[in-house]
Amino acid sequence: MTFGVEGVSVRFGDSAALREVTVEVPAGTVVAVVGGDGAGKTTLLRTLVREVSADAGNVSAPAKAELGFLPASSGSWAALTVAQNLDFAAGAYGMTGAARDERRTELLAAADLTAAKDRLASQLSGGMRRKLGFLMAIVHGPRLVVLDEPSTGVDPVSRIDLWRLIAQEAASGAAVIMSTTYLDEAERAGHLVVLDGGEVLVQGSYDEVRATFSGTVTSAPTPVREEWSWRRGHDRHEYWPDDDAPADQQVVAPDLEDIVIALSLARRLAGVSA
Amino acid sequence: MSGDVALRADAVTRRFGHFTAVSGVSMEVGHGEVVGLLGANGAGKTTLMRMLLGLLPASDGAVTMLGGAPNRERRRRVGYVPQNLGLYRDLTLAENLDFVAETYGTAVPSLPDDLLPYAKVLVGAMPLGAQRQAAFVAALSHGPELVLLDEPTSGVDALARARLWDTIRAQSDEGVGVLVTTHYMQEAQQCDRLLLMSHGELVAQGSEADVVGDTRALSVRTDDWSATFAALNAAGVPVILDGRAVRVADTEPAQVRSILDEAGIEGTVEAVPATIEERMLVLARA
Amino acid sequence: MIVKEFRELLRDRRTLGLLIGLPLILLVIFGYAANFYVDHVSAAVVGPQAEQVAASLPDFFDVETIDANATEADARDLLRDDEVDVAIVTGDATPTALIDGSNLFAAQSILGAVNATGGKIEPEVLYNPDLTTAWVMVPAIIGLILTFIGTIVTSIGLVREREAGTLEQLAVMPIKPGTVILGKIAPYFLLASIDMVVVTVLGMLLFDVPFNGNVLVFALGAAIFLFAVLGIGVFISTISQTAGQAIQSAFFVLMPQILLSGMIFPLDAMAAGVRWIGYILPLTYFTKISQGVMLRGAGIDSLWPSFVVLTVMAVVIFTAATLRFRRDLAPERKVRA
Repeated sequence: MTFGVEGVSVRFGDSAALREVTVEVPAGTVVAVVGGDGAGKTTLLRTLVREVSADAGNVSAPAKAELGFLPASSGSWAALTVAQNLDFAAGAYGMTGAARDERRTELLAAADLTAAKDRLASQLSGGMRRKLGFLMAIVHGPRLVVLDEPSTGVDPVSRIDLWRLIAQEAASGAAVIMSTTYLDEAERAGHLVVLDGGEVLVQGSYDEVRATFSGTVTSAPTPVREEWSWRRGHDRHEYWPDDDAPADQQVVAPDLEDIVIALSLARRLAGVSA
Repeated sequence: MSGDVALRADAVTRRFGHFTAVSGVSMEVGHGEVVGLLGANGAGKTTLMRMLLGLLPASDGAVTMLGGAPNRERRRRVGYVPQNLGLYRDLTLAENLDFVAETYGTAVPSLPDDLLPYAKVLVGAMPLGAQRQAAFVAALSHGPELVLLDEPTSGVDALARARLWDTIRAQSDEGVGVLVTTHYMQEAQQCDRLLLMSHGELVAQGSEADVVGDTRALSVRTDDWSATFAALNAAGVPVILDGRAVRVADTEPAQVRSILDEAGIEGTVEAVPATIEERMLVLARA
Repeated sequence: MIVKEFRELLRDRRTLGLLIGLPLILLVIFGYAANFYVDHVSAAVVGPQAEQVAASLPDFFDVETIDANATEADARDLLRDDEVDVAIVTGDATPTALIDGSNLFAAQSILGAVNATGGKIEPEVLYNPDLTTAWVMVPAIIGLILTFIGTIVTSIGLVREREAGTLEQLAVMPIKPGTVILGKIAPYFLLASIDMVVVTVLGMLLFDVPFNGNVLVFALGAAIFLFAVLGIGVFISTISQTAGQAIQSAFFVLMPQILLSGMIFPLDAMAAGVRWIGYILPLTYFTKISQGVMLRGAGIDSLWPSFVVLTVMAVVIFTAATLRFRRDLAPERKVRA
């Protein structure tokens, strides 16, 4: 079963948060939506879980009982312990008794939180708290899992652990979509979507994205066209959308960061409002 | 040599009761150098930063900031961008800059073109990218010789991040020493030198290769990534999903092959260069 | 530093309102409402010499009923049902003025006026023979405590959810908005009820405050009142982003109730321009119920207007609050350009 949004547009007052966005989330896949603040990631996810109603387009998502959501904010109740948080989430989805206890034990072990099960959520580190939020979102084995910036601000090691949990969920057959500002996570997803100003810049697997990227990226200490360049380490990379880079410029194979920045630049310089 | 660096720590240690947050850390940031500070949560980065700024006294060892012990006088010549911007959200951008100018006794800084539209906007109402940029303007407005940045680009898109790094580089080009903490591994590549902390100690420093050290990584390619992942995960091996492949850190290829054989999965196992995160993962599991 | 602080303060409307608005309000209220002196009271005169005695009463007594055929028992009923502040029973050598002791300031004024007649009328204070302030205050304090818990504590509890960002999470779980509200106010309902019982019992033990009426009537009045103030609490939570704001708003709602509900200053003594505020406050009506039941043993037959008003208030406030709260939990509707 494939979930997702099709041709969805959302406006908040005067501004368009999403413009005709189509994103598919197939079962057994991790879809990563990447983009900066204001790109529309949160709006996209909230539209998918029907917290926001779309002005145009279709939304395909299961009923609340088969949906799991982790919002960008905490995701857990500070004054409850880890175990109590999980129990509350389980209860909200109708899980009780032995089934609930078993599931709790299983999830805590998978996330390496068993030792902390009686600790208050407010006393957990950022990474552990996000892991708890994730467990609460999947406690009922949902078919679609929606995670809003689960790893933002989380330290690298916890991020890897969280990524492992997310991948395991997809490996078990769930459709998973998550938003992130980390390009390396997007690179590792089965399918990535780059959002900028409410529009999809590019989407597909990392290989597909690289394959369909048109234009050339060069690298030099100083750029030829300042407005088409950006800093990378000690050098500046430059984007030539029409493959017309001067022969003396050093061409580099673009990685995802190059591609995302190049496409964002092209969009902004084409006069589209950011 | 000590007069030549902007910032220096000599075997700095900090204890809180029985707990040692930072243990014997020696590092330096030269003028015009951009140094990246990496580490997992609880590694001691924040405590070290606070000692370097002189906000927290060291239990042992010494901190030298711009040639002497950190004090309010010297801090006037230091710029600091904390994680939460350091700006007042309920004041406009212009009002914030007024406040900073008054505090340091400098002229009110002029706004870069990108920020001009936000001059009279409350900082709390500005988009994140603009907020982070504004935080930079405020922190650099008094012409500091040393700048400390705590996760300065968190949450910002790739293009805006590159622009912020333009500013950082511009500073270092003029001789300012910069210390940056970050969780973005890509930003590590923007630095001249890296410092990796783990459990309160400095475990590696230098280039990216120095920091990765002799960490090993394997890439496993099979027809069924789900089953592969599930099998390796169940065996307790540190796995990272990578597109359709599965990466495994710090594990013998033979072990990986035997797990695959038991699960009846066929595929290739090849050694690949490890990443900084994999080094951090190995350190965390130790 | 000073300039920055001023600028931040000027943007914080709620604090400004508190700092500037509240003193002004207090001044106006104290000017017009604070009045311990009652300048006229309602009176009934019964018994054979009703007409003569009524004619001889000073203007202070606003005679509303003259009934030569009514007995002393009728007079006591009138007082119990709060129809009049004083009932003068004629027929004996000296007429007796039965004074409603539950209306403290009126009673004191009446007592003064009666004693000034130089023995021509015998005073007898009912319900609160010693005119003890505590007897009148304790029933009112019960209402105040319920208001406090219902308004402030409830609104903070709900706002915490919004502050923590977990409200969003609840919205996506298969939990109905009504269930969320119920779950959130039930503990406070229970807490307030327990508190009320404790204060009532303590008041009775420490100050000998009587409980002359029907416990069930009292409990019913308390329950309806609780719903009204809990509704206010929920409403405040829907207009507040932080616990600090919730407390400030709750304070704005609480202060007038303390001063204008008749708890401290008698309603009758307030200037009309300010008195009307008292009539839209829930606490005013609960105080009538609690004082009526505890001191005068009054029943639903005379207290029903207060019950009706409270019920209407509870329904209106709670409905408004619930509708606003559902908006937080249901899909957003966009403002179409």
